[in-house]
Amino acid sequence: MSAVPIIEVDGVTMRFGGLVAVNDVSLMVDQGSITAVIGPNGAGKTTLFNAITGVYDPSAGRVLIAGKETVVPLDAKAWWSFAVFGISSAFLAAVFLHAEGLWLHAVTENYEYLKPFPWMKGIMDAAAYVIAHGGWAALVGGILGAAGRFAIWSRTRRTPEIVAESGVARTFQNIRLFPELSLAENVMVGMDRRMRAGFCASLLRLPSASLERRHAREEAARLIEFVGLGTKIDALARSLPYGHQRRLEIARALASRPSVVLLDEPAAGMNPTETVELMELIRRIQSTRTTVVLIEHHMRVVMGISEKIAVLDHGEKIAQGNPTEIRNDPRCIEAYLGKEDLG
Amino acid sequence: MSQSPSTVHRPAGLLSRGQCILFGALLALPLLELVFDLGISAPTRFVLGFAIVGIGLNVVVGFTGLLHLGIAAFMAIGAYAFAILTCTIYPFQIGFWPGLLAALLIGAVAGAFLGAPTLRLRGDYLAIVTLGFGEIVQDLLKNLELITKGTQGINPLPTPWFFGATFASDTPKSWYFLYLGILLACTMLVRNLEHSRIGRQWFAVREDELAARCMAIRPDRVKLTALAVGAGLAAVGGALLASLISSTGEPGNYDFQISILALCIVIVGGIGSLTGVIVGALVMVGMNSILLPMLGQKLQQAGIGTTTSVYLAPDNYKYLLFGLALVLMMRFKPKGIVAAKEEDH
Repeated sequence: MSAVPIIEVDGVTMRFGGLVAVNDVSLMVDQGSITAVIGPNGAGKTTLFNAITGVYDPSAGRVLIAGKETVVPLDAKAWWSFAVFGISSAFLAAVFLHAEGLWLHAVTENYEYLKPFPWMKGIMDAAAYVIAHGGWAALVGGILGAAGRFAIWSRTRRTPEIVAESGVARTFQNIRLFPELSLAENVMVGMDRRMRAGFCASLLRLPSASLERRHAREEAARLIEFVGLGTKIDALARSLPYGHQRRLEIARALASRPSVVLLDEPAAGMNPTETVELMELIRRIQSTRTTVVLIEHHMRVVMGISEKIAVLDHGEKIAQGNPTEIRNDPRCIEAYLGKEDLG
Repeated sequence: MSQSPSTVHRPAGLLSRGQCILFGALLALPLLELVFDLGISAPTRFVLGFAIVGIGLNVVVGFTGLLHLGIAAFMAIGAYAFAILTCTIYPFQIGFWPGLLAALLIGAVAGAFLGAPTLRLRGDYLAIVTLGFGEIVQDLLKNLELITKGTQGINPLPTPWFFGATFASDTPKSWYFLYLGILLACTMLVRNLEHSRIGRQWFAVREDELAARCMAIRPDRVKLTALAVGAGLAAVGGALLASLISSTGEPGNYDFQISILALCIVIVGGIGSLTGVIVGALVMVGMNSILLPMLGQKLQQAGIGTTTSVYLAPDNYKYLLFGLALVLMMRFKPKGIVAAKEEDH
């Protein structure tokens, strides 16, 4: 087991207006482990998951994935995108403000009746005209374009897609499958991170794209079988019963070959048999060297499979330890387990 | 693995069964005319042009789930780009096919330029922006008189040629086959996209944007691709329709009504289904430019004059019929005549 924790939550606070949903929570998840986050309803568990996966930007604190902060760096690519937006909006502004002059100068003046249009000269004249007359428009347009791009870039430095790109996959508390897509397609969307087929290959159905699709379908079929959904890979996702939808979501999350998968109440709405099968599945996921973090209310699942448990209550972490420690922690019993004992 | 390889590897054919039947029927239509003198292959060319616009809009509305109310703007951009680059009163005169290709590219770039700043808008807000864009393009074309001839429209436009044969206006059948061929090519290419990684990304963003993002899909890039493809195809459709009447018509022709007609084609035919869109074009445009004029002619021949009473001109009922079609579809077949997924493979 490597020394760097796969997820390190460092003093994360989530504020929504006056409401503090998560307050200064720190959490380490070791590579290859099964960690559970438990707590009463409204304790901030799902909010913490959302902060980890980039759905929310933490109000304070930071989240490290494999020791790295998952934000878009201010690198050459970022500067390039500012430049592209700036230049194209400068170009648009200059051309639109001087459209008629440009047309007269570059097209009408270069045209001789019954002779082919001199394209090179026309383009050169157009460029010269824009440089001579469009300076102010281009400057203002360029600054607006580049600044707009910068504003969007700086507001979306930590987004779900960037966190997912770094190998974090998740499921949702209220299942979020793609209902009108088939089982196979749902799982193949999960594989998208690893797929390379571009627009032209897809448009012309080049052999590379067909081959990739074929392999993806094979792998999707394997994954669907792995989570125990059998062989009907072309049925629509919405036709599945509730418990099976949860498993399909897990298959979709695994399809990206994540280094860590976050399961938000995977056993919700499952009957006892299904719950046992789910525990088996989570152990099998761990055996593929994928780290598992789960939010769960079924104590049997939590105590049965997790190596480490963190307890949240009212947005604060009140305890952390292995199942035995948690079972005997007075604060946890008071906040959470106690109720179950009485009930 | 208990699965037989044949069920796992089921590559989508070049056309679905429904599409094969549809294109077979469209191919046979002019043959029918050899026997019966219907005179419908000429107006059916308009159906084919609108079907291409519908396929483009279907990529945006049906596949990616973005409500687009300004597709007519891209038809206008396509028609004007095609006209300026090919018409004999302009210096460029690059010919029919290069003009069509240029219309496609210019339309796609315009779609991307509209898309880039609006990608973060959702649902109704995007609809409002596209609506506004539709109006702006009309005004732009009207007011850039020096370039676009203002409200006159640009004419004449070149007729298409194919393998050395130039089509004259009195040979509607050869035009018909050519346009059918272009529609077939568009259908096949968009079908390739539909069944590829790109299509899957479109669907994922339509079904659940947050879930798609958590699977490392970048919704802005995905939406931009869809808007560019949709706008490019609408531009091709606009150019073909303009070439058909040898004029772009005035900019005001590309108004909100046309955008709504295109949207009706998609919704009535079956949102998200390529076969459905072509059927929708046949129903909506067929009613508009074949059935109603024919009915009017028949009424006139029967002596029930149309010149005296506006109530007796069937053409005046077209928007009533559009509305009726929409209401009936929503009540009895909300997924359209050909529901998506039923026609797959």
